Parts: sequence; C-alpha cells; structure tokens
Amino acid sequence: MPKMKKIACAAISAIMAFSVLSTAAFADQPYEGYNYDWWGDPVPSQTGYVVDRVVTGIDLGTGTRYNTDEQLKEIGDVEKTVELGSLADPADMYIDRETQYLYIVDSGNNRILITDVNFEKPVVIMDYFYNPETKGYETLNGPRGIFVRHVDDAETEAESTMIYIADYDNERVLGVYSDGTVFQQFTKPSSEFYEDDVTFQPNKVVVDVSGNVYVNIKSITTGAVMFAPDGSFSNYFGANRVEQTAQAIANKFWKTILDREAAANFIQAVPMEFSNFDIDDEGFIYTVTESKKTTTDVFKKMNPAGENILINLGFSDYTYGDMATYYYKGTTYGSQINDVDVDENGVIRLLDYGNGRIFEYTDECDLLFIYGGKGNQKGLFTSVSAIEAYNSVVYVLDSRKCSITTFKRTEFGDIVHEAMSLYSLGRYEEAREPWMEVLSRDSNYWFAYIGLGNAELSQGNYETAMDYFYRNSRAGYNRAFKQYRMQFVRDNFNIFMIVILVVIVLLIVLSKLLKMRKKKKAGGK
Amino acid sequence: MRFDLDMPAWKWPFYVARHPFEGFEDLRWKKAYSMKVSMVIVFCFFIITVCQQVMTGFLFNNSYVKVFNIVPLLVQTIVLFFTWVIGNWSLCTLFDGEGSMKNICCVSAYALVPYLITQVVVIIASNVLLKSEGAFIVFFQYLGILWSVVLMISAMKTVHQYTIPKTLIAMIFTVAAMVVILFLLVLLMSLFQQVYVFGFSIYTELMYRFSI
Repeated sequence: MPKMKKIACAAISAIMAFSVLSTAAFADQPYEGYNYDWWGDPVPSQTGYVVDRVVTGIDLGTGTRYNTDEQLKEIGDVEKTVELGSLADPADMYIDRETQYLYIVDSGNNRILITDVNFEKPVVIMDYFYNPETKGYETLNGPRGIFVRHVDDAETEAESTMIYIADYDNERVLGVYSDGTVFQQFTKPSSEFYEDDVTFQPNKVVVDVSGNVYVNIKSITTGAVMFAPDGSFSNYFGANRVEQTAQAIANKFWKTILDREAAANFIQAVPMEFSNFDIDDEGFIYTVTESKKTTTDVFKKMNPAGENILINLGFSDYTYGDMATYYYKGTTYGSQINDVDVDENGVIRLLDYGNGRIFEYTDECDLLFIYGGKGNQKGLFTSVSAIEAYNSVVYVLDSRKCSITTFKRTEFGDIVHEAMSLYSLGRYEEAREPWMEVLSRDSNYWFAYIGLGNAELSQGNYETAMDYFYRNSRAGYNRAFKQYRMQFVRDNFNIFMIVILVVIVLLIVLSKLLKMRKKKKAGGK
Repeated sequence: MRFDLDMPAWKWPFYVARHPFEGFEDLRWKKAYSMKVSMVIVFCFFIITVCQQVMTGFLFNNSYVKVFNIVPLLVQTIVLFFTWVIGNWSLCTLFDGEGSMKNICCVSAYALVPYLITQVVVIIASNVLLKSEGAFIVFFQYLGILWSVVLMISAMKTVHQYTIPKTLIAMIFTVAAMVVILFLLVLLMSLFQQVYVFGFSIYTELMYRFSI
C-alpha cells in the first residue's frame, strides 16, 4: 500500500509540474481565446492569432519626403529626410495589395506615411501636395481616412496610383497621384439635397472600380455621400435602418392617428450613422456602426444599389461582436464595432473599440476567432482605430498607444483557414480532414461541425449530417432533414401504402357494421 | 334528449370541447364536476409543457434547454393554474358568481383540453416538418389557444351565470388579481427569508458566545 501511495504522489507531482510548465508556455498571450456556442454562451477556444510585433513611429526610423528638391526649396527649406518621431493620434491604415504598401494616416502630425507590409522599405512621407491649378502646395489638417486605387490609363499605357485622403478639418477629400500632384478635390456639394447647415467633414473614404467616391461623414445619417468620378454630388448611399425601439413604434402609431401638424412635433426617428466602411474586390461595400446602444445594421454588406445582402433565411439573426453587454457602475460595456476589413479571401474582420477585440468571420458571417483585448500589454489595446489584413497577418492600429500591432496566425488558425477556404469553395469532402484535425484540437469549435455536416451531406449520409448539424446550424439541419425525410418515405413506401390500405378497409368494414347494427335496432323496435 | 349525458367523468372534457356553448350548461345541469379528472388535466398541462421544452424538434425549438430547470415550468403551469382559480374565485364570490372553488377549478381545467391536444400535435409535427412547413405549426398553436380561450369564456360564463360582457370584465380583473396574488407571494417569501436570516444570525451569534 505505501508503495501505491508513493507512486500516486509521484504521478500527482509530475502532473502538477507539467501543468505549471504548460501554463508558462501559454503565458506570452495576454488574452484568452474564446468562441460562442449555439446558446450564445462564451466557451473557451484555441486562439487563432498571436501577437507578432508592435511597431511604433520611432521603430520606423527616418522617413523621406517624396517631393523633389526643387519643390522642397519652393515650399521653403523643408528637410528632405527627417526622423519620424512617434505617431500622433493615427486614424487609419490602408494596405495596397498590388504593391504591398502600407499607408498610415498620421492624423496629429498631418501627414501620410507609406511603408510596406513588413516595415522594411524606407518610409515615405507625404505632407505637401502640389496643386497644378493654383500652382501652390496643399497641406492636410487632421486627416482621418485614406483609400488607394490603381487605374490603367489606356492612352498613355501608364498605370497610375490614385490616393484619396479624407481631410477632416479642411472639409474636403483630396485626390492625389503617387507623385503628390493633386488631381481632384471633393468639397461640400452645392446641391439642394445637401442641406447648407450640415458640415462636410469627411471621416472615411472608399472608391469603387468605376471611380465613384463614397465619403463617410459623421453628421449625416442618410448614408455615405457619393460623388461621381467627375466630382459632382450624385447621391446618398446605404443608410442604416431605424432601430425598432418601443419609442419608435409608439411614434409611428401616433403619427398615423394624429394630423400632420401635431405629428411634426414628435421627435424624428433617425437611424444611427455608420462609422466606417470597406470595399472588396467585387465592389461590395461593407459598413459598420459604432454604437453600443443599437443592434440594427451593426454590420452590412451592400451591393451597388445600397441594399444589405446579408439577409439570412429566417433561421436566426446575425449577431456581431460580443453577445452580451454588461452594466457596471453607471457605464454600459459592450461591443462598438468601429472598423471592418475584408481580405483577399473574403474573410471579414471587425474591430471592436469597446473591448479592443478583433472578431473574425467567414464571408457568410460565421464566427471564426476572437482575439485581442483591452489593456497595456503587448497585444492588448487602449483605443483601436483601424484594422487591415494581408496574407494571414492582421494589422491593428491603436490611436492612443500610437502603434501598429501585427498578429500572426497560429497552427490552429492555419488549419481552420485551410478548411474554411476549401469549404467556401464547396469542396466539402476535401475539407473533412482539416476539420477533423480542428476538432481533435478543440472539440468546442462549432464551425468544424458545420463543415463536417456539409461533407456528410454531400456524401448522402443524411443521418450523420443531421447529427453534426444538431445544435450547430438550423439551415444545415433543415437541408439534411429534408433529404433524410424523403429517403425515409421512399424506403418505407410499401409499408406506408399497406397501412393506409388497411385503415381504409377497416373504416369501410366498421361503417358497414354500424349500419347493420342500426338496422337491427330499428327492426327490433 | 339529443345526447346520452350519462357518460363516465373522463369523457366530459372531450364532450365540452366539442360543444363549446351548451357543453358547460350540460355539465352544470348534470353536476358532473370531477376533481380527479381536472387534476389529471392540470398534471398533463405540466407534463406537456415539459415535453414541449425538451421534445420539440430542433428546427422549431427556441427554448434554452442547455441547463434544464423544472422550477420555472412548475410556476408556469401548476402555480399559474391555481392562482387563476383562486383569483377568479375570490373575485367572483364578491360579484355574485355562483361557482364554488371546486366548480371553477374543474371547468378551468376542462377548458385547457384543446390547447393540450394541439400542443401534442405540434410537438409531434415539429419533429417531422421542415422549416418551410412551419406555417402548419403556427396554425395549430393559434387554433389551440383560440379554442381554449373560447372554452374558458364559455366556462366562466356558465359557472358563474354571468352575461358575456360581465364574464369578460371578470376575466380581465382575474388577471389583475393574479398579479396581486403573485406579488404578495413574492413579498411574503422575501420577508420570510429575512426572518429566517435574522433568526439564523442570532443562532450563530449565540453559538459563538457559548462556545468560548
């Protein structure tokens, strides 16, 4: 017996030592990975991304102005090469996938910095822009957003890079070529549809393939201001819906009853303005709404007509960000999505200002990973402002820490993404193996069950597919069950027919018997 | 006489459900109130509510059964039913209602039968229907509720010998009475809990004193 005790002691101490070691191995990650289960409860999960590096302005070293020496002399003895110093309140980032340049909007210093995705190329500074019309130089004043577009010029066969900068305090969107020449300025439209007392302070800007410019302005709730390529105001694009609160519904009710003058006194129900947007390669525009109070249209994917195409088939509503908001000491804490990025594979990443987290979704809004958090450690944020992703690396800009944090994918994340890309191509069978691998690493990972369910469904194993979809996906379960039910009826058709025939015969016999009985009774009387 | 009314007690609820208007008159005339049958119905009410939570097909099941808790279901069915009976009795005795507690209890239980039957149908159908065929389920749910409400109005009207408007008013006030009763119950429970905590703290205090 004492021997047994000794062995048990040794085993327990070994386990404890091992567990201490293993926690030490995970300690370099300041956040816990989690995911949501079918019930909307958070469950622990493997993390898909770990912090790689944190880059500040000082880390970037020196930067060179792109202006020529003559230009610099003309402006007035501006140095060509300067120490960058720290960034000040950086507001936006843009990754140009063709050239792999990373554009940083250094708001507080009124300049644009251009480096590459690996932070290796020497930094280029853009702050003086030559305006051929006035023959002067334009400067920025608190720029907030940037967008880069490549255009092939058919006449000169030259490709030109067009950079659009949302110049917030100068109330304009500045369009410049990569050599710094201004080619267009978008200012406050003098249209009857644009009210005079509304300011024009561009917050973010995107441009579609045909050159339409969409400007996001915080004081406008009717959508993005849309300019035609020639610079004329064309329309508002993609307003959010009004949140159906009890008050909004009550107002609607009273308005139908009361006459116009009385109804005019009611508070107008106004939708929340969206706070940021992105455009993908197919021309779909994605918007996010940063408000912890609203749940309507937090995230939208819009077609060129401005309609949200992320509508589901009535199975459940999409939710974005953290499921629960909580209230503590007079403040409500919840997700406030303030930036969105759609990468080359269609993976959607939402940036949560409220909790400093990144929520990664598939192109059909199925949650993949949650990472990041609030705090001062490496990999946590205080005030996130922009997110970009390129080639499985995620870049997050923090405007208070004035740094860019890059996340790299873990092995687990790689497997999930491999399975996911096969899955979204419809190659469910090939995706089976990576999904199995995902489940062996994290059996709580709900999306793997959906992937496996689809694999079984495509193989015709409807019952197994139903098992996989059960409490994971209503839409999938519905599809599998439809097939299963059809097969069941087909296989048992004979039995069904026999039962129905027997019932009919029995009914006929019974009714005859009853009639005979009645006749007997009548005859008896 | 059109029907043979000398039937066993368990047949009455079904007879009443098939004859919503003169059924309760017949019941009253034959004095066929059976507490046994009504208690069975109330128990079935509880069982079927549990089944509805657990056995409804995945496509139509919106209840949170990750952690199954039977107490809210007990409150939703049995406690609610008896609160209805007590509330209705205490209100209608004040307003010249003729029904006794037993009569109210019986007819209220009998009125639940169509709802229970359609619920069973719904539970079975939810396991064989697709999401696109969910309209049938909604239809049956509303049918059952509507039928039971009509029966309940007829039952209250007959058992108290009221006119229809008076019945409706009495039923609305019964709901108000139920709210008051439940509020008082909660209040009572919290008060008793405080008394208990008070007693317990005195007890522990004494124990500390004497143990030294």
